[in-house]
Amino acid sequence: MRLKTIIFFIILNLNIASAENFTLDLNKVLKNLRCLVCQGQSVADSNSEFAQTIKLVVKDQIKEGKSEKEIYNFLVEKYGEWIVYKPPLNKVNFVLWLFPYLVFVIGGVVIFLLLKKRNNH
Amino acid sequence: MLSNIGNTLLFLNLLLGVSIIYFAFQNLKTNEITVSKKIYHICLFQSTFIIICFITLVTAFVVSDFSIINVYQNSHSLKPFFYKVSGTWGNHEGSLLLWVIILTIFSFLFLLYNKHHPKNYRIYSLIIQNILILGFLFFLLFNSNPFSKILPIPKEGLGLNPILQDPALAIHPPLLYIGFVGSSIYFSAAISSLLTNYSGKLFAQSIKNWVLISWSFQTLGILAGSIWAYYELGWGGFWFWDPVENASLLPWFAMSALLHSLIVLEKRNLLYFWVIVLCLLTFILSVTGTFLVRSGILNSVHTFANDPSRGLYILIFLSLMIFASVLLLFNKFKNTSYNLNSNSKETFILVNNWFMIFYLITVLLGTVYPIFTEVLTDNKVSVGPPFYNTVIIPIVILFLLFMSVGPQAQWIKNKFYNLNLLLKILIGSILINFSIIYLFKEYSLLSNFIVISAVFLVISSLIDLYKSFKKLKKDSPRILSHLSFGFLILFIGLNYNFSLEKDFNLKLGEKKNFENYSIEFTDIKLQDFKNYKAVIGEFKINNSKENFNQSLYPEIRIYDNPSTITYEASIRSGILKDYYITMSNIDRSDYYNIKFQKKPFMMWIWVSVIFISLGGFLRLYQNAKKNY
Repeated sequence: MRLKTIIFFIILNLNIASAENFTLDLNKVLKNLRCLVCQGQSVADSNSEFAQTIKLVVKDQIKEGKSEKEIYNFLVEKYGEWIVYKPPLNKVNFVLWLFPYLVFVIGGVVIFLLLKKRNNH
Repeated sequence: MLSNIGNTLLFLNLLLGVSIIYFAFQNLKTNEITVSKKIYHICLFQSTFIIICFITLVTAFVVSDFSIINVYQNSHSLKPFFYKVSGTWGNHEGSLLLWVIILTIFSFLFLLYNKHHPKNYRIYSLIIQNILILGFLFFLLFNSNPFSKILPIPKEGLGLNPILQDPALAIHPPLLYIGFVGSSIYFSAAISSLLTNYSGKLFAQSIKNWVLISWSFQTLGILAGSIWAYYELGWGGFWFWDPVENASLLPWFAMSALLHSLIVLEKRNLLYFWVIVLCLLTFILSVTGTFLVRSGILNSVHTFANDPSRGLYILIFLSLMIFASVLLLFNKFKNTSYNLNSNSKETFILVNNWFMIFYLITVLLGTVYPIFTEVLTDNKVSVGPPFYNTVIIPIVILFLLFMSVGPQAQWIKNKFYNLNLLLKILIGSILINFSIIYLFKEYSLLSNFIVISAVFLVISSLIDLYKSFKKLKKDSPRILSHLSFGFLILFIGLNYNFSLEKDFNLKLGEKKNFENYSIEFTDIKLQDFKNYKAVIGEFKINNSKENFNQSLYPEIRIYDNPSTITYEASIRSGILKDYYITMSNIDRSDYYNIKFQKKPFMMWIWVSVIFISLGGFLRLYQNAKKNY
């Protein structure tokens, strides 16, 4: 019974969550872009001329109906990977993306083995 | 004059450090069971001299003695008194002196407060600590001397970087350094423990208060940095996963792991080598952080603090430390038996360590990865907030659940109380999450889980708190910190989801309407201040729904010394939310770029962190009371 109640509420939550509308958020895109002429600031947080230009470019591209990924690809081609704060998953960056999870799994296995060793005694 | 006094004191300290090591070795050879009085006296002198040395530098800043390069470069006679003083540690050389002071004082206090521990253990700790002191003193004297002179003597100083003239930043370095450098003492103690085979419960007892001190201060130091970023950098956020922020977080993860596993060592005499690893790791990460910040190897907001030549010295020192630690550890490692039950408290503490190491590795990898890709593939990548949020946040959900359940477990036993209760709390949390969405606004699936797990931790900690008031549990510091951590994540989650951000251009007299808000640009004026000029705008903010009316006054400041322009946010802090406005001029135009933000629960994010560290201080107080 209790389990059913939990499942009910989780499903309820999922429904609400998925009801979210998926229009592309300009600010979210800008926050993921580095202002290349600033020190450690995103395009969204900067008012430099560079940031102003990028803001206009992104705005236009959203208007044209481009997806988030297309916009990033366009900018990466132009300015290099340095401009996006989320490094794309590729040959160079796969260690960055996978290693943390590898550590997580190994940690879990180590703890599991420690406990198992004890149960065998 | 002051320069000579300072230099003399630094040299004296160098000699005292050497003599402490010499007498310590002499003392080891004798059969005395106590540490000789002579060593106490030299240590007392050492601490006193370094404090006087620091006071000398502060005095130089206060009286604006521009014959000292450091004062000339970082101060100005017109600067307010408070920032003259805080300017002392607002630069590389001064903060390094602060670093040495903390090393020295902790060394003396550790010797003083561990009288019931064996002589050899204390003496070796002292020797290792003094080797560290000497290393940093050399660096201070020959590479980054805060007392170096300049000729001819300039009439006026260059001034302190205006963005550093902020109260939060004035206290940020001292707090952070007590954490960073405080961890040196258990680095030394850990090595001494390996050398003298002084392990187990007693070792845990000798360092636990030092871990608590450094952890509590580190927490506050990170907070002060965060508050500064929020008020001063003008982008309305409080954490950007900037390499320098990460550098302060890395030792914090290691300390938090240590704080927990040390309990297991003290209560159950388990995990000794793991505790040693964490002791060594914490200080190594602190020095690594310093290396990353000072060497300028990373692109970050702290670029006012770097110089490549310094990096090399720290890097050599760091490599030696790591090499010695690893070597010693391999030599002394013994395979010990583990006696763990799967549902015991020990296991859950290991689970805490598991997550902490995951966070640590993720943040460390993200911070240094751009260096490697640039060297190896000539490809510059940025690792920023989206990376950390994607990798870490899902794991945090699991972490919060373990954090609520873990403390309910018992030592040794393989048994759980209150499984029923936990289920009820979970249902309650889901209900609360559902009502937030129903009453206010929907948010992403991930945010749903964050809110649920954070509320879960909050409720279960509150129940623990209730029990502790009824004297069923005597664990209030732990409960306080866990509860506040639950609140912290909850408020961060709500802040993230309920923030409102608008970016637009306005001309004097114009008005902008959106949602329930209208913002009117009503006035602009130029004003002269003691050390800067300011263009001050006046904006009337009106919320038709809440009947809220308020004026905010963002500034564009023009500093003369050094000549800089800063954008000063105007913030109206409230109990439920902050309003945040920045303005900046647009070239060749009457328009100003305005950034308006509504930031819910900002104050509660700060308060939560303060209470997390209060938990640490409360435990310290309890420990102190127990001993006397």
